[in-house]
Amino acid sequence: MVEVSKLVFAKPSKVSKVRKILPFLTVVSIYLTLPAIGLRGFWIDVLTRVNIFLLITLSLDLYSGTTFYLNLGVPFTVGVSAYTLALLNRYLGVPVEYSILPSAITSTIFSFTIFIPSLRVRGAYFSILSLLLPIILAGLVTSQPFSLYLGGEGGISYFPLFFSYARALPAGERVFFLQASHFYLSAAVAIVAYIICYKIAYSDFGFMMRSIGQDELLAEATGINTFRVKLIGFIASSFLSALAGALYAAMRPPITADIFVPANTLVPPLTAVILGGMGTIVGPAIANYLTLIIYEILWGVLGSWRIILYMCLLIVLVLLRPQGLIYYLYLKMKQVFSVRIFKHLGGV
Amino acid sequence: MEELKYITIFGFFHSLTYLVFSLGFSLVFGVARLPNLSYGALYVFTGYVTYTLLSQMGLDVILAIAASILLTAAISLLIGEFAIKPAIKFPVSVFITTMAVAYIFEEYFRIQMGLRPVTLPLYPGTTVLIDVPVSNHWFLVGIISSIMILALLLFLFKTNTGRAVRAVAENWEESMRLGINPLRVLRTTFIISGVYAALTGILLTPLKALTPSGGWTPLFTAFAVVVMGGIGNVLGTVAASFIYGFTEQLIIYTLGGGIARVVPLILIVLVLIIRPHGLFGRGE
Repeated sequence: MVEVSKLVFAKPSKVSKVRKILPFLTVVSIYLTLPAIGLRGFWIDVLTRVNIFLLITLSLDLYSGTTFYLNLGVPFTVGVSAYTLALLNRYLGVPVEYSILPSAITSTIFSFTIFIPSLRVRGAYFSILSLLLPIILAGLVTSQPFSLYLGGEGGISYFPLFFSYARALPAGERVFFLQASHFYLSAAVAIVAYIICYKIAYSDFGFMMRSIGQDELLAEATGINTFRVKLIGFIASSFLSALAGALYAAMRPPITADIFVPANTLVPPLTAVILGGMGTIVGPAIANYLTLIIYEILWGVLGSWRIILYMCLLIVLVLLRPQGLIYYLYLKMKQVFSVRIFKHLGGV
Repeated sequence: MEELKYITIFGFFHSLTYLVFSLGFSLVFGVARLPNLSYGALYVFTGYVTYTLLSQMGLDVILAIAASILLTAAISLLIGEFAIKPAIKFPVSVFITTMAVAYIFEEYFRIQMGLRPVTLPLYPGTTVLIDVPVSNHWFLVGIISSIMILALLLFLFKTNTGRAVRAVAENWEESMRLGINPLRVLRTTFIISGVYAALTGILLTPLKALTPSGGWTPLFTAFAVVVMGGIGNVLGTVAASFIYGFTEQLIIYTLGGGIARVVPLILIVLVLIIRPHGLFGRGE
């Protein structure tokens, strides 16, 4: 199949291509030098967590943001993959380093098998089913016969990722080594995932998913195999959140049933997706960093009230600007920059 | 055999409370075709308001209960007007707005009341019913629940407003052609569902301790019952809540309390997978 975009638009020159990704490269390289130029302690951990949450945000945006099938079962995929990793370590003694990918794949297969039936049904049923599943698992993990094997309320603990390398280092450097290695690994995965998601969301396949979101019957009538598109989109998106769960579990033992609670693993990415603009990938990615970092800063100012503030913000945004805020601001800024700055560098 | 008595008696009472709670949820779900995820928060809200009025401000029992029911109905109306009604055009957003409302309540009570469980006074005394000691509070719950269920059924099937509610639940567009204003009907259902959530909150808080996050379990029960019975189908909801209540008690007395929270939900998932429109629901 010929890509539509190749037929419609003229091929951009190499210079304009480089210029297009220049801001992205600058931001990424500044971000990656942060630990080297003296970022230590608490904030490096926060950034690692935000990197991992970017995967969940992207997964939510890639599927729910384009097809409007709201997948509230993200905590299910995340939690299953985290628990798979922990259980592999506990019962088979697999080091955490080797079990990240296998547990992500296991969790993807799990969620895709469970959600296949509900993908056929239109409407709210998919969201309802996806909302119920994490609650079931949280109940299973903490209830009597299973809690003996699954760790119960206390969770399962093990050595974190790269701990065996850190042990060889002198005592003073161990913590920073662990923090920095986790930060760089998560940042690398986040950047790769972002680029892949961007490519998918703006490819022909991405537009097929968007057409399902606009009008599923019409999309089917124009010859799109909607079930297949939904299935592939769902697998891609759940692999991302499964990877996030495995990384999170590998870096933050012990793993407890808290990972299934929507307030922990669903609400922050959802806020980012809504604030950023559904289906735009760029907006949610920026919003992910903004909201989660501001959320940590607000801890000192507002304490627990910050959750209430965020929820009010979420309601107001959904009702007044369902198309998102950050993506709009991003486009405005891009316009201003391309006119005011690149004009002096030789025009477009 | 000893267990069978317990299962029958407590299964019956539990089913009644589930039914009352689910009916309020089912009304909004049936009319707007959208789930109100903050319905569990209303239950918690009533419990805390009644607790505050009774224990901290020392109001009279009847007065406190009446005040908290009125307040919950008002809050339910507000949630409906500001979080559900504007979202009808864009159904995805109702999940987000109502979930956000639920978390606002949860966090607010966590800050104000702390994590320590709160209870209301029980109706005193116990009665022995076929060798099983049952708290008199359960009888109070049973009587009031039955009255509430009958009142709602009479309202839905015998009054004009109730018929309008059922018409809108059946077909939104067609009811507009018949001269019914669906938004007005929706407002009525918000108030009624608030009253039902409030009554369940007041009746059940003495039996089950109340915590800020305690609204999710009842919400999922209501969810399960309504989905099992078929959305917008009142008689299906009645049947489903009895199936749910008895199954839950059966599992509690055979397999233990921990797993009982989960097995009914697994049943719901199976029902959704096999019959996506509910056991008694009709396909669209």
